[in-house]
Amino acid sequence: MLVRSKPPYPSIGSYRVPESFADSWKRYFHLLPNDISVMDRLLEAPPGSKVLLLGNEAIARAALEAGVTVATTYPGTPASEIGDALARVAKQAGIYFEYSVNEIVATEVAIGAATSGVRALVSMKHVGVNVASDALLTFAYTGTRGGFVLVTADDPSCHSSQNEQDNRYYALLGGIPLLEPSNPQECYEMTKQAFDISEQLELPVIVRTTTRVSHVRGPVLVGEIRRGAAKKEFVKDPKRFVTVPAVARVRHLVLLESLKRAEKASEDSPFNLVLKTGTGGSRGVITSSAASNYVLDAAKEMRISLDVLKIGFSNPLPSKKIIEFLKSHELVAVVEELEPVLETQVRALAQQASARTRIVGKANGVFPRAHEFDQAIVARGLAAAFGIGSLPKSVSSPDTCELPLRPPVLCAGCPHSATYFAVNKATNRKAIFASDIGCYTLGVSPPYSTADLLVCMGSSVGTAGGLAKVNELPVIAFIGDSTFYHAGVPGLINAVHHGHRFLLMILDNRTTAMTGHQPHPGSAKDPCGEEVSPVSLEGVVIGCGVKWMRVVDPYDLKTTVETIKDALAQPGVSVIISRRECALIAPRDAKGAIAKKQFIDQEVCKKCRTCVDKFQCPAISSIDKVQTIDEALCAGCEFCAQVCPHKAIKEAK
Amino acid sequence: MVDIYLVGVGGQGIITASKIIGDAAVFAGKNVLLSETHGMAQRGGSVVCTARIGEVSSPLIPDGQADVILSFEALETLRARCMSSEKTIVLSSMERVTPLSVSAQKLKYPTPEEVEVGFKGISARFLFVDARRLALEAGVGMSPNIVMVGALAGTGITGLPRKDFEKAIELNISRKLKGNLDAFAKGFEIGKRAAP
Repeated sequence: MLVRSKPPYPSIGSYRVPESFADSWKRYFHLLPNDISVMDRLLEAPPGSKVLLLGNEAIARAALEAGVTVATTYPGTPASEIGDALARVAKQAGIYFEYSVNEIVATEVAIGAATSGVRALVSMKHVGVNVASDALLTFAYTGTRGGFVLVTADDPSCHSSQNEQDNRYYALLGGIPLLEPSNPQECYEMTKQAFDISEQLELPVIVRTTTRVSHVRGPVLVGEIRRGAAKKEFVKDPKRFVTVPAVARVRHLVLLESLKRAEKASEDSPFNLVLKTGTGGSRGVITSSAASNYVLDAAKEMRISLDVLKIGFSNPLPSKKIIEFLKSHELVAVVEELEPVLETQVRALAQQASARTRIVGKANGVFPRAHEFDQAIVARGLAAAFGIGSLPKSVSSPDTCELPLRPPVLCAGCPHSATYFAVNKATNRKAIFASDIGCYTLGVSPPYSTADLLVCMGSSVGTAGGLAKVNELPVIAFIGDSTFYHAGVPGLINAVHHGHRFLLMILDNRTTAMTGHQPHPGSAKDPCGEEVSPVSLEGVVIGCGVKWMRVVDPYDLKTTVETIKDALAQPGVSVIISRRECALIAPRDAKGAIAKKQFIDQEVCKKCRTCVDKFQCPAISSIDKVQTIDEALCAGCEFCAQVCPHKAIKEAK
Repeated sequence: MVDIYLVGVGGQGIITASKIIGDAAVFAGKNVLLSETHGMAQRGGSVVCTARIGEVSSPLIPDGQADVILSFEALETLRARCMSSEKTIVLSSMERVTPLSVSAQKLKYPTPEEVEVGFKGISARFLFVDARRLALEAGVGMSPNIVMVGALAGTGITGLPRKDFEKAIELNISRKLKGNLDAFAKGFEIGKRAAP
């Protein structure tokens, strides 16, 4: 029986940090997709060859070919594989790569490098740009010397995100040139070109993908990798780079001038092109990004002839090209996912040019403003817009709603499951739970129901302060280790300073698990295996002025429950670090157990269902009133043995 | 144009399977687009990948238009019914991963007969593959996914040469390559039964 008297990694200073990220990958190879290929296609695909790449990998390859010197990121779906790909090859390719603490720092590191004259790439998911925007919008004023490319991966339909904001607005907001690839080949071409555009205009450039662009694999025709300069000398120019008001006022005018040159570049860009379906004709479509793919396939399926103006360089728009297109078509449909960014501008251009073209899109209710498109949605929209074309035969979908659902769940042996079970036991569910972004957000579902409020990275700590001020029930905030470093620290300082009363539980699984086990500032090695300085969580918590802090092992139920009860009795902010390595990277014995695999002794089992109704583990099932543990799935964490009130769960022989 | 709809549960090697199909297509000089599920949508949840071989722009397959449903898990096979029509060939692993909702909400996991009956009158062919057993026989118990890729190749419906599949397996699998090629071969033989 594993009930440890001490937490596994005790005090500050003698931090036991798991072996390098790279090594743990190799050890748990069987748990990960078996894709650590013999040849690393990203680096070794020869120039002139066609290689199957993920959209995100194509972006990474393009950056290498563009001679990028510094690449930074904070992982987030659907952008993660850009950083992961570069992390994998950084050492061999001779570039500097880091998983930064958050998106704004990632952006700032890249700005420091690019203003010195080297090329820099920073990538993030769409909501990451909210964090980075403070740096980005003023950086457009100073401009850059070396090519600076920011990749934002948007997530229409919120596959892995808390919203589906349309980041093309950032390009409009900041006056930043914008490229929108629609497939892996364009991811490659546009990213490579983005560095050149950035240097020609001396402006940062945004490359915006979506889930259906970043997470699509297709053949990419690649070119030659070249090394950028490793060192440059920053040439001082405070009248440009130090944005005090007097400088900023002037630089805004410079930016507006640069945008005129950018419009010229957009006008001439090969990424803004007219395609034809069938024989073309008087009906036109203006489209971009993933939506353009659905337009082409839907038109083919419906056998309708269209002229399609596909916009790849979408800020500034190629006004002349668009006006010409409008004037040569009687009816134009604007087809784009999410916000009517193109459509609003196209309508404004039509008005300026006194074009009499009828324009249809979201404003007429022909295309939806929420969620991602697919071929069927676009086909319906085109049929409505043009009043022609036979709709593809509708398929009567057989009813599948009676099938048992399979929502994502916490893994077997997940330390978060153990923490949540303990929290419910300690509070009897009488508490308000402020949650945060990570695997542990899955605690929102029964049986745990340990998430009541969530808005963004780091919000658990801030919102807990407000919740505690106006509620009688105790407030518990949950935040992961990586998320705490990312955006939790200012919230904690605020809580200490203002005397907010709540319990902050830092769910420290020693990694950034949700996005693919990237290292974070608490890690001892960087992704290339180089030693870095781990920043201790305890040190940060104490440094923020917290007076009451404990470290527990969530696999030890009794101690965790008692510690939570203790913490809730404290007068101010209390912190519990619940520390256990993510079960997917934790060391295992020959049988695949973290400690010992378990089984349910059917003679002792009282069928009380505690192990399936109050606890949740993919290895434990209850079928026809019999509860069993699947030994192959069991992680051997021994926690369920503590959950069972009748001691029916025992060590498997 | 061949549309393959791959379904299963996170962790079953579905992305790897789709990459093998994609690489095989590239080796054969065909255009191909794959889409896949990542992140929050994984974690033991239902996983969907698509592989479209031929001249096509969008990676998603419209409802009812899959030429093949390649399923790695029996319940997920049934869930994929909306993708099938009279042209569809269904290749389903007999593997069964019980979702937690069966335990928590006292639901019933469908029997193999129910899965098969679910496609009666909807799709052209239905073939169960005992992928786990065949993988074990090949000495690679972790590779039922490779058996299923073999079954797909065996139907001949992709139009891709067998050697390109084998080359793609070599590119994507570094451990127990011989065993995996055996697993592929075993799947290939079974797949022939569902050839159109």
